[in-house]
Amino acid sequence: MELTRRDLLKGAAALGAAAAVPLTAGGPALAQTTQKKELVTAQSGDVSKFDPHFSTSSNDVRVSFNIFDNLVSRHPDGKLYPSLATEWKLEGQTTWRFKLRQGVKFHNGDPFTSADAKYSIERTYDPAAKTMVATVLATIERVEAPDPATLVITTKKPDPLLAARLAFYGGQIIPKKYVESVGNDAFNAKPVGTGPVRFTSWVKDDRAVLDANPDYWGGKIDMDRWVMRPIPETAPRIAALLKGEVDAITQLPPDQEDRVAANASTRVAGALYAGLYVLAVNSKRPPLDNPLVKQALSLAIDREAIVKELWRGRGIVPGGPIAKGDNHFDASLPPLAYNPAEAKERLKKAGYKGEEVFIETTVAYVAQDKAMSEAIAAMWKDVGVNVKVEVIEYSVRAQKNREKSFKGVFWSDPTSTLSDPDGMMWRLLGPGGPQDYWREAKFDELGNAARFSVDEKFRGQAYKDMTKIFLEHFPWLPVIQPYEDYGIQKYIDFTPNPNQQFEIRRFNFKFRRA
Amino acid sequence: MASSIPASAPADAVLPAPVARPTARRHRTPGLVLLGVGFVALLLVVAAAAPVIAPQDPIRQSLRGRLSPPTWNGSDGKAHLLGTDHLGRDVLSRVIWGSRVSLVIGFAAVLVGGLLGSAAGLAAGFSRGRMDAIVMTLADAQLAFPFILLAIGIIAVLGPSFPTLVVVIGLSGWVSYARILRSQVLVLRSREFVESIHALGGSLARVVLRHVLPNVLSSIVVIATLELARAIVLEATLSFLGLGIQPPTPSWGGMVQEGREYLDSAWWISTCPGIVLMVTSIVVSRTGDWLRDVLDPTLRGE
Amino acid sequence: MRGFVPFLGQRLVRALIALWIVSTVVFVVMRLSGDPVPLLLPPDAPTSEILRVRRELGLDKPLPAQYVIFLGNLARGDFGRSIHFREPALDVVRGYLAATLELGLTAFVLATVIAVPIGLFSAMRRNTLVDHVAMGLALIGQSAPTFFLGILFILLLSLKADLFPTSGRGDWRNLVLPALTLGAFTMASIARLTRSAVLEVLRADYIRTARAKGVAEVWVVAKHTLKNAAIPIVTITGLQFGTLLGGAVVTETVFSWPGIGRLAVQSIYNRDYAVVQCTVFLAALMFVVINFFVDLVYGVLDPRIRAG
Repeated sequence: MELTRRDLLKGAAALGAAAAVPLTAGGPALAQTTQKKELVTAQSGDVSKFDPHFSTSSNDVRVSFNIFDNLVSRHPDGKLYPSLATEWKLEGQTTWRFKLRQGVKFHNGDPFTSADAKYSIERTYDPAAKTMVATVLATIERVEAPDPATLVITTKKPDPLLAARLAFYGGQIIPKKYVESVGNDAFNAKPVGTGPVRFTSWVKDDRAVLDANPDYWGGKIDMDRWVMRPIPETAPRIAALLKGEVDAITQLPPDQEDRVAANASTRVAGALYAGLYVLAVNSKRPPLDNPLVKQALSLAIDREAIVKELWRGRGIVPGGPIAKGDNHFDASLPPLAYNPAEAKERLKKAGYKGEEVFIETTVAYVAQDKAMSEAIAAMWKDVGVNVKVEVIEYSVRAQKNREKSFKGVFWSDPTSTLSDPDGMMWRLLGPGGPQDYWREAKFDELGNAARFSVDEKFRGQAYKDMTKIFLEHFPWLPVIQPYEDYGIQKYIDFTPNPNQQFEIRRFNFKFRRA
Repeated sequence: MASSIPASAPADAVLPAPVARPTARRHRTPGLVLLGVGFVALLLVVAAAAPVIAPQDPIRQSLRGRLSPPTWNGSDGKAHLLGTDHLGRDVLSRVIWGSRVSLVIGFAAVLVGGLLGSAAGLAAGFSRGRMDAIVMTLADAQLAFPFILLAIGIIAVLGPSFPTLVVVIGLSGWVSYARILRSQVLVLRSREFVESIHALGGSLARVVLRHVLPNVLSSIVVIATLELARAIVLEATLSFLGLGIQPPTPSWGGMVQEGREYLDSAWWISTCPGIVLMVTSIVVSRTGDWLRDVLDPTLRGE
Repeated sequence: MRGFVPFLGQRLVRALIALWIVSTVVFVVMRLSGDPVPLLLPPDAPTSEILRVRRELGLDKPLPAQYVIFLGNLARGDFGRSIHFREPALDVVRGYLAATLELGLTAFVLATVIAVPIGLFSAMRRNTLVDHVAMGLALIGQSAPTFFLGILFILLLSLKADLFPTSGRGDWRNLVLPALTLGAFTMASIARLTRSAVLEVLRADYIRTARAKGVAEVWVVAKHTLKNAAIPIVTITGLQFGTLLGGAVVTETVFSWPGIGRLAVQSIYNRDYAVVQCTVFLAALMFVVINFFVDLVYGVLDPRIRAG
């Protein structure tokens, strides 16, 4: 066959393409695969507690959720999947029967049985235990373990969200025999769970080392070891990622995203946070006990500017206390208003005499917390508020959180744990909750009713009414619902979970191997 | 001897004396001293006139114009000759206003340290021995550990307020004054001295006024200048650590801290105040050196 | 050797007194805010803990008794329990000590190794460009604030030139910038000192003799300089240790170096005062000990002291 010029050209093109493929695959692709067996991550604060029932902070959750399993697990796609429970059924109105997974062992070899599940769940709301998750499973009336493979939970009233509750904080399963024999403090120092990684060592403020659990029921994860290093300062944390010293970092501020995206070996991965960044208010402290003052404070915040400038547009201005993506999110609510003139009016009406309003901020616990604090302080000053910004260390914040001793407003990133307002607004602000600084009878009544109703229309209306009350009293000053971004090496396959879980189980995390 | 040399690092350039000075340094031109003094005077003028000179309000934020490099025409239509910081505040204005903090605290601290130190030195010199021993032991102890640790400890317990800062920074430098005054008093009280006065037919008061006092004053001026440089740097260091003047009041050290996160992208936030601070420290301590060469070379060691 | 023992004895007494004064200051500062218990215990501590600590510190007793108890505790190495780390403060500090010693020693060695030849060279090339540049840099090193020097190094040598890591402790590359920052003042001081010493030696007679004999000038200069400069250099060593320790607080913070300086600052942010008081006291102890040894060496070197 004669080779026409066209054929030659086609051939040359094919050869060229073939030659080009290895070039592009060999170049950047080399940065996109790895032989690593060790995962190194860096976050902005060290673990404060390994005991999963004693902290809901994101820095702790990222680690403890991988040491422990829940009965049910929520994957990044938002759906509930079996975990330590293989199936569950609602029998009647208030009884749930869980079939538990067989052959699961804790990291110390003890077998997982229904006794452990019963113990774990009861511990969360045991007043003597004083956990931080006391309100999560407060709908439960009693827990029974008729046989090692079955768990029966009876709720006080019909609770359609029970399975979802068990999927998040408070639902982590801990080993009864071990905890009872060594006590809480020792358990916190050497935690034992059923998860894909087990605790190896922890040098405070330096690193936590977790080794893969080879017998994990979900299959051994794609690594042998995970080292978590706390690097509180943003610049060194990002530098560590760019230089390849760590594989993934959290709390990546939008200012730095261009650098991470532009770098050949790294990329940005993010998800719209299933929650809000708010300035939680200690409403017991004057002048914050006056709703008019809080309304003024809310009106004085130029959220648009914060989202556009500080967050480079990566976020939305909230309209109320319910996060976008949750059940009963009211899309018709306008974004929280910015009206400094009106703010001044309200302050006058409130009889505000220049009392100090404190913003106690951490640095990079909640991304951009300090910068937002300074920006908001300037906005409040502009309407005549005597505002003082105080920087506190993360460990001090954790302390103040436990003893509820904040001086004014403080950053919080309430997570929507159930994709439902019951798991965010009600969990945190309800009576006995971790942010119980303010009570209002009607609000409580509605919250309780909505919790136990199976009528979604009724619930929707209840949450609408609660939102109205919320927008009058502002126990939180919602600021933004941001995209939470991670910086990761390109050789990692990872889908961020909107609820801040750093999920490294097989279904979500993989090294790309050549 | 290790423990008897005044150590007010880092601006202090006192070298232990046994080695002879290189001749080149002996006659520092008064011109250079004038230059140094002139610089301090200029800084004082800038600090005093800050509200007038500074192109913008140092605490006015402009989120839209944040992190902008030095420019004649910023996003708000104004010139930002040293750029803006992470909240859109004009760096030049903040540097100008920051000089107030440095100078006020610096001078106040020098005053406090000078008064305390002189009083201690006088007490030590005039006492019958006990006071002297106490003062000198305290001086030794002061050198016994890095003062900055004590400074941050005190400030952490008491909170960073202006008076606390002035007292703590002032306290860090009393020793030099004490030594000078003590030795002067000892000379005055020495028998040889008194006898030679009588022999020469003069009155003690006259001698003190005409000879001792000017001598002491010139020593104190030298020490005060060196101490000023050191106090300014110490205040900046404390502000850098977050234990000095609190935001949003601009202070040079605080600004360097604020710019740390943006060092690779918006380096001007940290470098501008830092360079001004460095130049100030160098010029003031050099001036102190020259003053010493001119006024009182015996201050080099003992 | 007759005068040596009383000399040593006097130094020892001074050292102990200095330590005692530091402890007293720590005691006073801890009680400046009133009750020291909130400084030493987490607020969620059980009543039994609070009572125990109050008993241990003797807080129910009058102040002088508390002071005695405090000194006793110090002597036993009991500085209290770290709130943040949940172990005895002394154990915590001990864990961070090695890093600071590594940094301090490297800074000092680096400073000396770089500064002495520079000083030598500057003196021998007196008033040339090299001399002026070297002395100019020395001036900057002595007057520049340590924290900003560190920031400049990070900006220029790490971020822009990508020669060294920006922070943390790792291999030798991590040591360079912090050691340079910490040692800058010492380096500058030693360089100037060496230069003066060498200039002095250059004027002396034995140089002319050596030149006449044709011996390489450098070696003669070096030998005599060393003899002359030994005493002042040793003096400066003791002095610089205090500077190094103080400078470590700032340098470690700038470079996130995990030593006791940064520990002290972090503990203050964490309101973990047991660790703070332990660090202050240990730093004082180290300084006093090193100074004592410096005085010892000084005494050996300077016969005038030995003779009393």
